[in-house]
Amino acid sequence: MHRILVIVISCAAIAVARAQTPEQLFADANQLYQQGKFPEARASYERILSSGYAAGELSYNLGNACYKEGDIPHAILNYERALRRISGDDDVRHNLQIANLMIIDKIEPTPRIFIWEYWDGVKNWFTMTGVTLVVYAWFVLFAASLAVVALARTYALRKIAFLTAAGTFVVCLFFTVVLFDKKSDLVRSDLAIVVSQIVTVKNSPDPMSSDAFVLHGGVKVQITDRFTTWMKIRLADGKVGWMDGGAAEVI
Amino acid sequence: MDRTAFQRMLSVFLCLILWAGVGLSQGTEFQANVDRNPVGVGEPFTLSFTLSNGGMGGGKNLQPPDLNKFRIMGGPNQSSNVQISNGSVSSSFVYSYVVEAIEIGKFTIGPASIESGGKTYRSAPLTIEVVKGSTKTKQQGTEAADLSAQVGDNLFLKATVDRAHVIQGEQINLVFKLYTRVSVNNYAVEKTPNMTGFWGEDIELPKNVPLSTETVNGKQYKVGIVKRMALFPTQAGTLEISPMEVQTTVVVQDRRSVDPFDSFFRDPFGRSINYEIKSEPIKIKVDPLPSDPPPDFKGAVGQFAMSTAVDKKTTRTNEPVSLKVTISGTGNIKLIESPLVELPTDFEQYSPKVSDNINRTGNRISGSKTFEYLLIPRYPGVKTVKPVSFSYYDPAKRSYVKLHSPQIELNVEQGTAPVAPMIAGGSREDVQLLSQDVRFIKLASPGFARPGEAFYSSGLFMAMLLIPVAGLAGAFVYARRRAAVMLDQAGYRNRKAMKVARKGLKQAEYLLKEKSGKPAANQRLRFYGEVSKALWKYFGDKLAIPQADFSVEGAAKVLTDRGIDPGLLAALRSLLETCDLARFAPTSLEASVMQKTYDEAQRIIVELERTLK
Repeated sequence: MHRILVIVISCAAIAVARAQTPEQLFADANQLYQQGKFPEARASYERILSSGYAAGELSYNLGNACYKEGDIPHAILNYERALRRISGDDDVRHNLQIANLMIIDKIEPTPRIFIWEYWDGVKNWFTMTGVTLVVYAWFVLFAASLAVVALARTYALRKIAFLTAAGTFVVCLFFTVVLFDKKSDLVRSDLAIVVSQIVTVKNSPDPMSSDAFVLHGGVKVQITDRFTTWMKIRLADGKVGWMDGGAAEVI
Repeated sequence: MDRTAFQRMLSVFLCLILWAGVGLSQGTEFQANVDRNPVGVGEPFTLSFTLSNGGMGGGKNLQPPDLNKFRIMGGPNQSSNVQISNGSVSSSFVYSYVVEAIEIGKFTIGPASIESGGKTYRSAPLTIEVVKGSTKTKQQGTEAADLSAQVGDNLFLKATVDRAHVIQGEQINLVFKLYTRVSVNNYAVEKTPNMTGFWGEDIELPKNVPLSTETVNGKQYKVGIVKRMALFPTQAGTLEISPMEVQTTVVVQDRRSVDPFDSFFRDPFGRSINYEIKSEPIKIKVDPLPSDPPPDFKGAVGQFAMSTAVDKKTTRTNEPVSLKVTISGTGNIKLIESPLVELPTDFEQYSPKVSDNINRTGNRISGSKTFEYLLIPRYPGVKTVKPVSFSYYDPAKRSYVKLHSPQIELNVEQGTAPVAPMIAGGSREDVQLLSQDVRFIKLASPGFARPGEAFYSSGLFMAMLLIPVAGLAGAFVYARRRAAVMLDQAGYRNRKAMKVARKGLKQAEYLLKEKSGKPAANQRLRFYGEVSKALWKYFGDKLAIPQADFSVEGAAKVLTDRGIDPGLLAALRSLLETCDLARFAPTSLEASVMQKTYDEAQRIIVELERTLK
C-alpha cells in the first residue's frame, strides 16, 4: 500500500515536472488557443512568463489570446514585447498594426529624420542572436586579416590584409553599435502601453489638477519622469502630461 | 346721418316756410376770409368770399383776385345761407376756393369784386402769412385742449415704483394706476412702456379691478390699477422706464353750444369721447454688483435653494442617467443659467433640458427652475460627479451666497452591449486591414530564455569571442618570433660578412707572405682559392644568397639589382675570373700578380661594404 502511494506520488511529481517545462506549457497553451479557449490559453501563456521564461513567440501568442478575448491594450502590449525579441517578424508587425487600428486615440507621430528610420530598419531586420552572430563573424574576419598582416611575407599581401582588416573593423564596429542599441531597446523601461480603458491625463501629478487630455487603452506612451505613483508621459505627437502609474504597463 | 348736416337742412326748410314778406333790411357787404392764418407751405386752405345780405339772388360776375402766388386747387364753390329771425331776413352767399400756398412769406390777396343788385362790391385786401410746416395739428390740438380743459386733472395715469435705487438684479415693483374723477367707460393700453435694461415680468391682476379712493391735492379720486410689473435690472447705471399710454373712453358733458335745438337732440347723460392719457417717465438708479463674484456666479440675484437628484444610482454602460438640478426661491429666476456639471471624462453629456415654473402672483416673483442633464456612461466603474455649485447674490445680506450639492456617486456596471470602439478617421487601407483577422499563433516551440540568458551575454559567446582573439595573439607571437629569427640570421651574417671576408683574406695574405721569393705551385693555388672563397662567402653572408646558387652571373645580377657601380662590378668580375683562371692555368703565378690580386680583392670588399651598407 505504502509503496503504491509512493509510486503514485512520484508519477504525479514527474507529470508535474514534465508539465512545468516551458516547451510543454507552451504546447498546452497553443492547444487551448486552437480550441478557442482564449482566456485559458492566455492564463497558460502568462504562467510561462511568470515562471521567468521569455520568448518573442510566447509574447506574440499571448498577444493573440488577449486580442481574441477583446483586450486590445494587453494585446498591443504583448505584441510590442514580442517585437523586441523577434523584431523582424512579419506576423507580429501585422497583428500589431491591426490591434492598433482598434484603439480609439489616433495619435500622429511627429515626423523623424529618415536616417533614423533606416537605422530602425537595420535594427529590426536582425534578431538579437542574429546580430550577435554577425558581429562575431565580422570580428573573426577582422582578427583573421590582422593575423595575415602579421604573418604576411610579402609587402603586397600585407597591404591587402591591412586594408581588409580596416574594412572589417568598421563593419564590425557598426554591428556592435547595432547590437548595443538593440540591447538598450530590449532592456529599456521607459515605454508603456495604456491598459486602462480610459485614463485622464492631468497637467500635474495631483488628482485635483486640471485635465490635459484623455487617453484610451492601447496608446503607447513614453515615460519621462516619475513622482510617487504618478508618471510623466509623452505621446508620439509630443503631448505631455501626468498619468496615474497604474493605468499603463511598461513594455 | 351727421347731426350738423341734419340741423342745416332743418334751417333751410324753416327759411323756405318763412320766406314770404321778408324784405331786404340790412346793408350789403362783401368780405374775403381764409379759414386760417397763418398757413403752412403746401397745405390747402379755404379762401372764401362772403356776400352778406346781397338779396336772395346772390351775386353775379364774381371776379376773383390775382392769386399768382398761390395755386388754386378747386372752386369756386358756392353755398348760400338764408336766415330769418325775428322778422328780419339775413342771407349770405359764400364763394370758396381751395388754395395751396407755394412759398413762405407774407402775401396780400387783392380785392375781389362781385355784382349784386346792380351794384359792384369789392372786398377789402387780405394779408396772409405763409409759414413753413404744418399748422394743422395746432388746430386739432385746440380741440384736444378744449377736451383736456374739461377732463383736466380729473383723469390721469401715474406710474410708481416701490424703490428707485436698487442693485443690479434686484426686484422693483412697478405699478400703473389710473386716477379719475370722471366716469371712464373703458380703457385699453395703447403703448406698453419700453423696458430697455430690464427683464420685466407682468404680475397677474384680478379679473375685476377693485377701485379704491385716494385724495390727491385735496381732491378725491377713484383709483384703479392698470398694470403691475416686476422689473429686474440687467445692467447698472441710470435706467428709464418710458411712459405708458392708455386710451380711455370718457363721458363728458358738452357745454360748447347753447343752441336749444342742439341740446334737444343731445344725449342728456353727456357724450363718450376717446381720451389718451400718459404716465410720466421714471428714472431708476441701478448700482452694479460687488466686483468679486464667485467664478460660478452667473447673475442670479435673490434668495435661492438648490437640490440635486439622480433617477438611479446604479446603471449600466450606455444607459442614460438623468440628473436634475432644481433651483428655487425668489428673485430673477428666469435669468438663471444652467450650473456647470463636471462629469468624469468618459461620460457623454448633453445640454440640459430646462423648465421653469414662475409664480407671478403676490409681491415677489418666485418659483423654480429645473435643469435636467442626461448623462450616458460609456465605461464601467464607480464614477463620481463633482458637487454642483451655484452662486447667487443676496440683496438682503448684501453678499454672494454659494450653494453646493452633495457629491454624486454612480455605480456603472458593464452593460450587455460591448463597448464599440470608434474608429477615428481610418484610411481605406486601414479599414481593409481591419476587416482582416490577426494571424495565427506560432506553434513551433521557441528558444526560451530566462532574463539575462541572452546569447550576447552568455559565457558561450564570450568564449567564442576569445577564439579569434587568442588566434590573433598566437599569430602575432609567431610572426614576431619568426621575424626575430630571420632578423638574427641575416643580420648576423651581414654584420659578420666583412669580418669573415677579412679572415679569408688574412689566410690568403699568410700564403702570400709565406711564399715570399719563390712560392710553391700548390701554395699559389691555395692563395687564389682563399681569395675566391673569401669573396663568395662575403656575398653569401651579405646578400643572403644560398651557397648553392653561387655563380658569377647570379651574383652579378643580384649586385646590379642592388645598384652596384658597373666599374666595380667589372673589376669584381675580372678578379673572380683571374682567380678561376689561376687555379687551372698557372701562368700568372708571379708574386707581383698575386700581390695585385690580393690588393684588388681587399679594395673590392671595402668598396662593396660601403655600397651595400
